[in-house]
Amino acid sequence: MKSILRFFSSVKLAIVLFIIITSASIVGTLIPQGQTLPEYTARFGQLADLFTRLQLTDLYHSWWFIGLLFFFALNIIICTLTRLIPKLNRTFKPKRVFEPKNINTLKIKEKFNKSWSLVKTKEALKKEFLTKHYRLHENSKENKTYLLARKKIAGWFGADIVHLGLITILTGGIISGIGGFKKNLTFTQGDILSVPQANFKLRLDKFETEYYSNGNVRDWKSTLTVFEEEKPLFSKIIEVNHPLSYKGFVFYQSSYGWNWENPSLEIWVKKRNEPSFFRKLNLKVGEKIKLEDEDLIFSVAYFIPDFFINEKNEIISRSLEPNNPAAFIEGWQENEKIFSGWIFSKFPDYARIHSQKETNLSFELKDFTAGNFSVIQAVRDPGVNIIWLGCSFLMLGLALAFYWPPREVKIILEESHGKTEVTAGGIASKSKDALQAEFETVMTSIRRLK
Amino acid sequence: MNESTLFLIAFILYIVSAFFYFAFLFTKIKKSAQIGFGTVFVGFIFHTVALILRTVESGHAPFTNMYESLSFLAWASIIAYIIIEGKFKIRKAGPYFMLIVIALMAVASSPLMPKEATPLVPALQSYWLWLHVSVTLLGEAFFAVAFITSIMYLVAESKEKKGKKHSISSKKLDSISYRCIAIGFPLFTLGGLVFGMIWAYKAWGSYWSWDPKEVWSLITWFVFALYLHTRIVMGWKGRRSAFIAIFGFLAALFTYFGVNYLIAGLHSYA
Ligand code: HEM
Repeated sequence: MKSILRFFSSVKLAIVLFIIITSASIVGTLIPQGQTLPEYTARFGQLADLFTRLQLTDLYHSWWFIGLLFFFALNIIICTLTRLIPKLNRTFKPKRVFEPKNINTLKIKEKFNKSWSLVKTKEALKKEFLTKHYRLHENSKENKTYLLARKKIAGWFGADIVHLGLITILTGGIISGIGGFKKNLTFTQGDILSVPQANFKLRLDKFETEYYSNGNVRDWKSTLTVFEEEKPLFSKIIEVNHPLSYKGFVFYQSSYGWNWENPSLEIWVKKRNEPSFFRKLNLKVGEKIKLEDEDLIFSVAYFIPDFFINEKNEIISRSLEPNNPAAFIEGWQENEKIFSGWIFSKFPDYARIHSQKETNLSFELKDFTAGNFSVIQAVRDPGVNIIWLGCSFLMLGLALAFYWPPREVKIILEESHGKTEVTAGGIASKSKDALQAEFETVMTSIRRLK
Repeated sequence: MNESTLFLIAFILYIVSAFFYFAFLFTKIKKSAQIGFGTVFVGFIFHTVALILRTVESGHAPFTNMYESLSFLAWASIIAYIIIEGKFKIRKAGPYFMLIVIALMAVASSPLMPKEATPLVPALQSYWLWLHVSVTLLGEAFFAVAFITSIMYLVAESKEKKGKKHSISSKKLDSISYRCIAIGFPLFTLGGLVFGMIWAYKAWGSYWSWDPKEVWSLITWFVFALYLHTRIVMGWKGRRSAFIAIFGFLAALFTYFGVNYLIAGLHSYA
């Protein structure tokens, strides 16, 4: 048991773990994480099998990586605790009697005689240290008086608070991992969806995409209304970086898309030889419209948001974005198809119509409206507040460790023949120079006092 | 004057200052080092105005693409250098340090870097962009100074071993490296890790996703934690500490460049 404790309290283990965890993390950035086996095989060939078996393909969630983090946490806890108890003792029950040899071994020290009584010398020293914001502990034994002057002792605990912060963060991570919940909710405008594992519902009132003048997306905004027991409670517009928080859930604007199932199209019909002729048709895919005077039945057979011809000469939609909207139109005369072909909203002059019969009509795909859907990510993360607490500890501890350097001065006063011998020494693990300067000013001013 | 002219003037002044600094190294004329420092300072003022103009013109923080953030890192490095120089009077580090600044400025102004200010993608529109990136880069700037003083340490140490005296003692260089890391480490922790986690939670709904950029920041952080522990607890100093500090800065550089160009991830915009 003792040897296990010793093993886990050693900083050497910490260093080994630092190196192993760092190396493993590097491996995880070199092998893309969370892809499928065929993708790995394409990339790494025979190694793919080995990688999946060693869980290198989901390294940061593998049992062995989590195990390493666990050992690391244990190391921090045990190491910090074993050092904490002596430190607490030193803080709250400092040794109030010290041997001259304790002082003689210090780097910052001084020894002199003052032609004053012990009490007067002591009071002068105390006054000097108090003006420098030291706290004083005084003790007398036999014919000697011991002064212990200390300040910024909290700095001793900087490292412990940093380590406490790390443990808190790791704990928060575990809680997020176990109790966390994340789900995408896909809304079209007007939908009311119930939030899984919660007793309320959400309605998407409105979804908007804002664009910059160059056409890039500026923002996505979803107006959400929270419903409880079928009653609307309140509404909020969420956008990227501005989620909605309610009852432990946070709702993020995660993604969006178009619902191309049943778009409404606007088509303009013109006549080449008759400029005054103009018809506007509003229709849906599959709907047939009769052009009265022309003796023509018109319909749109398909609509594609991003027209593209692939290597195999197939017409596909390259994406779900309306980058190159195209409609396949057909014209009929008494059950006889007289023309069919593609028209493009961005390239009106580039229609590809095959006609069986001469026609003067031309068609333009002028506008289209399709429903948008908005993907809202619902997140419940019970660990997150613990993470923020841990981060606060971490920063507080770092500030103390680096910018709150503890200082201790030990002084022995001994009176003989009306004179007082002063033996003093200072201890600082950090910023020794600053202590030295402070120490010297105090001692010099005492010596000079008349 | 527009932003790119100001940037160019700053760049030229930095190069000029490096000339004076190196002249000082070889001739030991103190005046030369003073002119070098003065030139850096004037260059820094031009650089500052360039960054402000960029911010005003684009309407967003000046570190949303590689050109901007390199320029900002060079600028932050000068701040770090001015602070360290003010504290420790290490003129001799000036010339080497300017090499890093010049390298950053040169990469930033290379034709391969797109320079036009592009509107921000939705995820970047947040004041956390300011807090996260500026504090992280400032921390890294102090790591850059520690990198230079650590390399100088290795040179000084090998000279001292041969019985020659080095103008700045290796002991002093070692302690300056430590002091830089003592400033850089808390800044990097705050900006890179804490602010990063907060922003990630606000924007994506999870504070940590093991994205390559996050992992490499963690690696950088671990390397400097290793530096602190070997030093504070095991009493390592000098050579071994210098190697860890050098390695740490290289890890920071990789986080910054390597991840962008070699590994894709969530952080792919900047
Ligand atoms: C990423 C993980 C860690 C971080 C960020 C960290 C951070 C720190 C910091 C900032 C200090 C103060 C350094 C200084 O005063 O200059 C410190 C000290 C220390 N750390 Fe850690 N630490 C980590 C892990 C560990 C582990 C695993 C151990 C386990 C053995 C450990 C043991 C110590 C010890 C013994 C000290 C000196 C304590 C003292 O001054 O009383 N640390 N650590």
